[in-house]
Amino acid sequence: MSAEKEADFTLDLRGESCPYPVIYTLETLEGMNKGELLQVITDCPGSFRNVPEEALAHGYTFAQDPVQNGQEYLFYIYA
Amino acid sequence: MKSLIQPIFTRYWNPYVVLLIAGVLSALYFGLTSTVWAVTGEFTRLGGDLLLLFGVDISGWQYFDMVHLKGTTWNRPDGWIVWGMFIGALIMVLFSNSFKIRLPKQKRRYIQGLVGGIIAGFGARLALGCNLAAFFTGVPQFSIHSWIFIVATGIGTFFGAQLTKTRWWKGKPTLTRGAAKPSNVKKRVIQPYVGGIIAILYIGLIIYFFATGQKFLGLGAMFGLFFGILIERGQICFTSAFRDLFLVGRSVMAKAIIIGMAVSSILTVIVISIYDLTPITQIAAMSTFVGGVLFGVGIVMASGCETGMMYRLMEGQLLFLPVFAGNIIGATFLAYAWDHLWVYNVLVKGGSKINLLDSIGPVGAISATLVMLGVLYALTVYWEKRYHRKLAVKRGMKAHVS
Repeated sequence: MSAEKEADFTLDLRGESCPYPVIYTLETLEGMNKGELLQVITDCPGSFRNVPEEALAHGYTFAQDPVQNGQEYLFYIYA
Repeated sequence: MKSLIQPIFTRYWNPYVVLLIAGVLSALYFGLTSTVWAVTGEFTRLGGDLLLLFGVDISGWQYFDMVHLKGTTWNRPDGWIVWGMFIGALIMVLFSNSFKIRLPKQKRRYIQGLVGGIIAGFGARLALGCNLAAFFTGVPQFSIHSWIFIVATGIGTFFGAQLTKTRWWKGKPTLTRGAAKPSNVKKRVIQPYVGGIIAILYIGLIIYFFATGQKFLGLGAMFGLFFGILIERGQICFTSAFRDLFLVGRSVMAKAIIIGMAVSSILTVIVISIYDLTPITQIAAMSTFVGGVLFGVGIVMASGCETGMMYRLMEGQLLFLPVFAGNIIGATFLAYAWDHLWVYNVLVKGGSKINLLDSIGPVGAISATLVMLGVLYALTVYWEKRYHRKLAVKRGMKAHVS
């Protein structure tokens, strides 16, 4: 994974419960320039599904597959 | 073996499948016990237990008579539904090694949770049951109060969602430049073993109930366990069903719940006609509507309803401790306000129990219910499309400006 592009921004959502991870992620992506890469760290189990699904539904693309890291997930999303 | 077990306990299950099974089980539980899958009635009784513990004289409170406050939570089947749900969810969380103490960085969430929990607890009991009693048992029992409650919850959730969007409510997340390191992962995995021990002890308890002739406690404990397993594995969130539709145009939970309700309705009408059972009907009155709106606002404020908060708490999301406390406080306050304040006289008295089975017969009842659910499904799809159409327009304008 070291060949992957370094994230431009990191959104650390550990501890936040739904729906805030998905709201924060979409808002942050909206505020970023197109092509910039956002790293999201989240540990709310509901967000493991709704963050990636809604990012896709809102037209964003993933730089790589989600990474499970213990009880949290990492997402890499292009704005 | 591992390849078979792994996906069951490490991945979340499809919410459609989960709600189908929940629909079947709740119809079966009704067939076996003539009582329904519900939780907030027990929350009210827990409030009553606490009042008694503190020496408050509640003998004259009508509401506690109405919800049959007797014994302790350990010898009430409804009590075991609640504890079974907690334990079932906890076992699944541990099996999937996903327990972690999660503390919100936004400290305001604790207050939002407590206040939302109180409003939701109060509203649910004012309407004589939360979304479980309305969506999952009320609709399939053809009680018209549940239809009013669904509409009212939708309205309440809409206002709750507007509140959630405001800056002062949601707060600002920490956005940092560049990449950050994730948490270190513990190598030793012990959670599944702890889950296994709890599971064995709990199954032992269920066997004990049946062996000592306490059939209803056994059934409550067993179905509670099943429901807890299902809501955790399916991440079933009634709060998100309406809310996420309004917030981000997300419809999956709403659709899954509607389909679960349809299946449960068909099975229940069959169970009722085969065993000649009396459907459970609640009063439909102003209180149903007001309670539903309050409930809708409250669950969005608290980020979880009386059911969703159960498995979230077991996952270690400590935000849901004040929500749980709030639910009990709200339900208990309603029990007080029912006859000590003006609640019953103003909001409930004029209502009546209306059941579709009595008024239009089994065929009419099931047809009307399926049509209503169909309309609800169509509205959900419409709202989702509308959201994405608006989003596309917004996108187009942004692209145009830049």
